[in-house]
Amino acid sequence: MTVLETLLSGQLLFAALVTGSLYALIALGLNLVYGTMRLLNVAHGEVVMLGAYAAYWAFTALGLSPLLVAPVVAAAGGLLGYALYRGIFKRLLADSSAAQVQRMESNSLLLFFGLSIVLQNAAALVFTPNNRAYNYLGTVYHLGSVSMTGNRLAALCVAGTCCLLVAVFLGRSVFGLATRAVIERREAAFIVGVDVDRVQWLSFVLGFASAALAGVLVSMLGQFSPFSGFPYTIAGFIVIILGGLGNAMAGLLAALLLGVIETYGVALTSANMRSMLLYGAFVAALLLFPNGVFARRAAAR
Amino acid sequence: MKFSFSHRRAFVGGITAALLALTAGMASAQADKPLRIGFSMARTGMLANATPSQMNTYELWREQTNAKGGMDVGGVRRKVEFVVFDDQSKPEQAVRIYEKLITDDKVDLLLAPWGTPFHLAIAPVLEKFKFPMVGNTAASVALRQVKPGYIWFPTSAIPDRIGAELTAMLKTQNVKSVAVLSNVLPFTKEIKNFLEPELKKAGIEIKVSTEYPPDIADMTSTLTQIKQANVDAVLALAYPGDSVLYAKQAKELGLNQPFQFVAIGPSDAFFPKAVGAASAEGVVTIAHWSPRAEWKGSQAFYDAYVKKFGEDPDYLNSALAWMSLEILETTVAKTGLDKAKMRDMISSTTFDTINGKVKFEGVQNVITPTAFVQIQKGKLQLVWPASMASSKFEAKKGW
Repeated sequence: MTVLETLLSGQLLFAALVTGSLYALIALGLNLVYGTMRLLNVAHGEVVMLGAYAAYWAFTALGLSPLLVAPVVAAAGGLLGYALYRGIFKRLLADSSAAQVQRMESNSLLLFFGLSIVLQNAAALVFTPNNRAYNYLGTVYHLGSVSMTGNRLAALCVAGTCCLLVAVFLGRSVFGLATRAVIERREAAFIVGVDVDRVQWLSFVLGFASAALAGVLVSMLGQFSPFSGFPYTIAGFIVIILGGLGNAMAGLLAALLLGVIETYGVALTSANMRSMLLYGAFVAALLLFPNGVFARRAAAR
Repeated sequence: MKFSFSHRRAFVGGITAALLALTAGMASAQADKPLRIGFSMARTGMLANATPSQMNTYELWREQTNAKGGMDVGGVRRKVEFVVFDDQSKPEQAVRIYEKLITDDKVDLLLAPWGTPFHLAIAPVLEKFKFPMVGNTAASVALRQVKPGYIWFPTSAIPDRIGAELTAMLKTQNVKSVAVLSNVLPFTKEIKNFLEPELKKAGIEIKVSTEYPPDIADMTSTLTQIKQANVDAVLALAYPGDSVLYAKQAKELGLNQPFQFVAIGPSDAFFPKAVGAASAEGVVTIAHWSPRAEWKGSQAFYDAYVKKFGEDPDYLNSALAWMSLEILETTVAKTGLDKAKMRDMISSTTFDTINGKVKFEGVQNVITPTAFVQIQKGKLQLVWPASMASSKFEAKKGW
């Protein structure tokens, strides 16, 4: 395949969009929680993994369509987020002195890291470490020269729509305005009367719900085990580094960019280069655009 | 967090109680003198999702053995008890565990851990303590470098033999060109290194040869390249972790080669469930066992496994694990726990197993031939070599 053929291939574009939209959905939740509370949720991938299991059991044990249970799984994920926020983080976040906020950022990393290990091993105990996968919407559709499996198409549509909806919601609604205020100037937002607590718990709920939903979509595509959450956390972090921490809309663009880098990069070099491409993008972004590739435009708006 | 004095006392009290309960349990266990069999298993880490096929087989064996009144140790039946530790998918951890099992836990017998690197890593430990162990889920040409004496490998799925036999099988199907895609993990990489020279020698053109990392999440790029190459056969040297991804995306892109080889994964029950029975149909994979009348106990093992776990055993790894247990059982019934006698008997006896006769020369099983199975009407059938085939190869009709 020549370079030009590769770049023009609709099949690769489709693959890049599927990958990118899933990354976007995963990064969105990570970004909200980080942006509003400076909490580094390294257990984010584990929530994705749990969502995948929920869809798997619903499909194999109860015969329910994963797309139909997706809202329920997302709600359950949101509930988990709410419980965690009320149970652990609300108290820790209440003291908002500068020193405490800084300490919180590093402590949250440890806290979530612990949570991630607990969730992985609990899942391994309860669900066994077996590989899981199921066959749902396996029909292949053809559009011109591009062939698309139903489940990948569905994943693209659901992830894309949800990301856009959340982005519009954050951009247009009063809650979105409040969220952005908290992200940019937490204390100032508090002073002008933004209900910081509400913004925080809603961010937690939205963040965990989107991760669980991403899990449902991921489970339809390949196989997963209790230990397959971590790569998603990493991908999410790369996206928010590319897009700028706490910047939801730029995150969407960055996720698509990462999907493109991964898919076309692999096509032009070799699949063995995948990790190097991903981490290369990560390091390059940190060196060249420490505030995110799309940060300046977002700031100018 | 504040820790009041009374809290601390309750805490210490709780720990003491837990310790007491633990020692009490140990004391009563020693009283009935069960036979203690130790091993390490990857319960967590990147191999954890592969080990249940082996662990389940061990569990099934213990249950059956104890139901019979225990394992026959030189004429005396003793109940079996497992001493298991998680090696976290790290070979160096397995080394420590086997040392501990031998010196500290003082187990009576050892079973094998999961996978080639682990077998290789613990071989020196077995040698050092002169403790014989029958291996199972290990396959590599590197095994032949292991000093013979205290470890044996019943598998015949050794990469150089796989390369030669697969090439011979492709020849009989008149395959002129192939695409090879390989996971970079050790076993598949090794198969690739032996397979490609064999293919060239046989005049089969390798139109695409590519590798991918274990954490691959999308194969579109690689498979598009293979589709355009228009080959007669695709040889996907995949691990369980990516065999499903390959099958799903081969279907999406319409890779319609009648010969589809997927190295590891399809011998496990999860594969047809994961990709759908129609997609799994016709896939060829590595295994040298299937339940059949002339192999005594093979059908009984299959039935018992399905009954207990609700799914088929892995035709490669579960069968190998069971074979290793049979060899150990036959030996210990004769020799008791005398390690030197055990070693001599395993090294020189021809054993009857669910996979037919097994005899070791050095570390290697010299009887079982290298073989391949194909999924036909939802069942795995031995299709190669002709001498032990249970069915004929059938061309795969799409996914």
